Amino acid sequence: MNFTYRGRCWKFGSDIGVDGDLMPLEFAMQRETRVEVLTPHTMKGVDPSFAGKAQPGDIMVAGKKFAQGNPHIQGLLGIRGLRLGLVVESIPRGSLRNAVNAGVPILPACPDVTRHCETGDELEVDFSTGRFLNKTRGEELRFAPLDRTLLEIIAMGGWRPALAKRIAAMGRSG
Amino acid sequence: MPQTATEKILSRAMGRPVRQGEIIYPEPDLVTVHDWYVVNFDKALQDLGVKQLYAPDKLLICTDHEPVAVSVLAAERQRQVRQIVAKYGVKHFYDTGRGGHGHVFPMELGYVKPGMFVLAYDVHVNNYGALGCLAIPLVTEITDVLACGSAWLKVPETLRINLSGAIRPGITTRDIADRMIADVGADMADYSVMEFGGPALSSVGIDGRITLCNRPIEIGVKSTIFETDAVTFEYLKGRATPPFEAVRSDPGAQFKATLDYDLGILEPQVSAPPTPDNVVAVSQVAGKKIDYAFIGSCANCSITDLRDAARILKGRKIAAGVRFVVTPGTQQIAAQAAEEGLIEIFISAGAMLTAPGCGPCAGGRISPIAKGEVSINTGTRNDYGRLGTREAEIYLGSPFTVAASAVAGKIVDPREFL
Repeated sequence: MNFTYRGRCWKFGSDIGVDGDLMPLEFAMQRETRVEVLTPHTMKGVDPSFAGKAQPGDIMVAGKKFAQGNPHIQGLLGIRGLRLGLVVESIPRGSLRNAVNAGVPILPACPDVTRHCETGDELEVDFSTGRFLNKTRGEELRFAPLDRTLLEIIAMGGWRPALAKRIAAMGRSG
Repeated sequence: MPQTATEKILSRAMGRPVRQGEIIYPEPDLVTVHDWYVVNFDKALQDLGVKQLYAPDKLLICTDHEPVAVSVLAAERQRQVRQIVAKYGVKHFYDTGRGGHGHVFPMELGYVKPGMFVLAYDVHVNNYGALGCLAIPLVTEITDVLACGSAWLKVPETLRINLSGAIRPGITTRDIADRMIADVGADMADYSVMEFGGPALSSVGIDGRITLCNRPIEIGVKSTIFETDAVTFEYLKGRATPPFEAVRSDPGAQFKATLDYDLGILEPQVSAPPTPDNVVAVSQVAGKKIDYAFIGSCANCSITDLRDAARILKGRKIAAGVRFVVTPGTQQIAAQAAEEGLIEIFISAGAMLTAPGCGPCAGGRISPIAKGEVSINTGTRNDYGRLGTREAEIYLGSPFTVAASAVAGKIVDPREFL
């Protein structure tokens, strides 16, 4: 998998809620997990037009406690559907697991990163090394990447394909 | 090398010493799954070609989020859950009207012991930390555990909290827990296990420990765990099968930080919208008119919580225009509340009782809130939309504060009623 994303920055503040902001709560209550159903509603509570504007390869940059709240996966599946990368100052552990599960490349601990970019900046982010380049500003930052084990899960496409592979390896099917 | 309680439990599960920060795949002693997710994991296992659970005897399934089905869809899901339980041969199944809240009744019934390692679907399973058990929620990847026996876990750091001081009259562990999560904050708590001990440990009963274990999940902890002591072992007597091991970190174990927390906070606390850690003293929101109050949820559904509420409600009436719901956590707690005469107090005051379980807190499936209304309750979260519509305000407080506010028709300091 190519872990380098080149695209526009979409910047958000802190405390984006997983239910309501990132995805309407009703989808979590219905346990809806179809990416194609969820994708058009991504970030609806913050910017209803977001899903129509973001392009594959773009990068969402957010402040602290991104996707806070009960760790429902629906919002992260929406981000996956839009093919976006995720760079956040911090993210609660349940939502970090869900980002990995949804197959969303993420830099989960990037202190003050929101001070180094604005919506519309051209970014280049390598999620396997933690290199964050703001081409508009000509500024380069380094953050800790995810553990190799977790990058492999994302590279496989997230939770489902990774589990299928493990089940096959353990001979648990059939 | 000295280890934290969490490192010891995970080392035992792995059969080798583990170190903080490494990714491991430990097998749990117990797995819990609730309600509708049973249908989801079954579908996932079918799609993946898995016909048998990895360890069906370790799985506990319960129906607590919507025990009384309020739609045909919910009744249909309950029917499917029963079929799935039979198909996989799950012995530990607590159907609607049996156990009650899955984050509470397994402790009452002796499923949870000190030093155990539990993995769960649902987030507030860290309640089990009250008994010195390390219980970690996984949500989606519980399917991995059911299919393959484990899921990835990063060995967490431990944030040690030494409890000191004494609880003041009119203050409960809910006030203290909410004040504490606001004071500690997500930056400090993220990914860590919060471990409780200290000189005031023995002054906090198991019900209070459950509340203290419940709240920190809202600031991102991986789990919460209490050191064991005489209070733990007294609770376990007659419930679980001995032997019971003592759980505590070694002297010299490596903590992320050690914080002293004084139980003697001065004023009842309320979480104001929109997040549980937006905590203020009750005086700052006093006078706010309310429409809807409830006592319950995995944070505050114990007999102690019901006694607290009843102490306020005895001989009083709920204010006109306010509805008040009480949800005992478990079948046992409901029965005990009836025996102690608490149910009569609630009903005489004008409250309604629901089936044991999560109550309205589970997304407002039961007794949701209407547009423009204000609720104060003992639920776990106050996000906009938590009780149904986004266009409502949710405040969280102790059973004292919620009951007193229901009587007054507005948020009040409960100490005026005690």
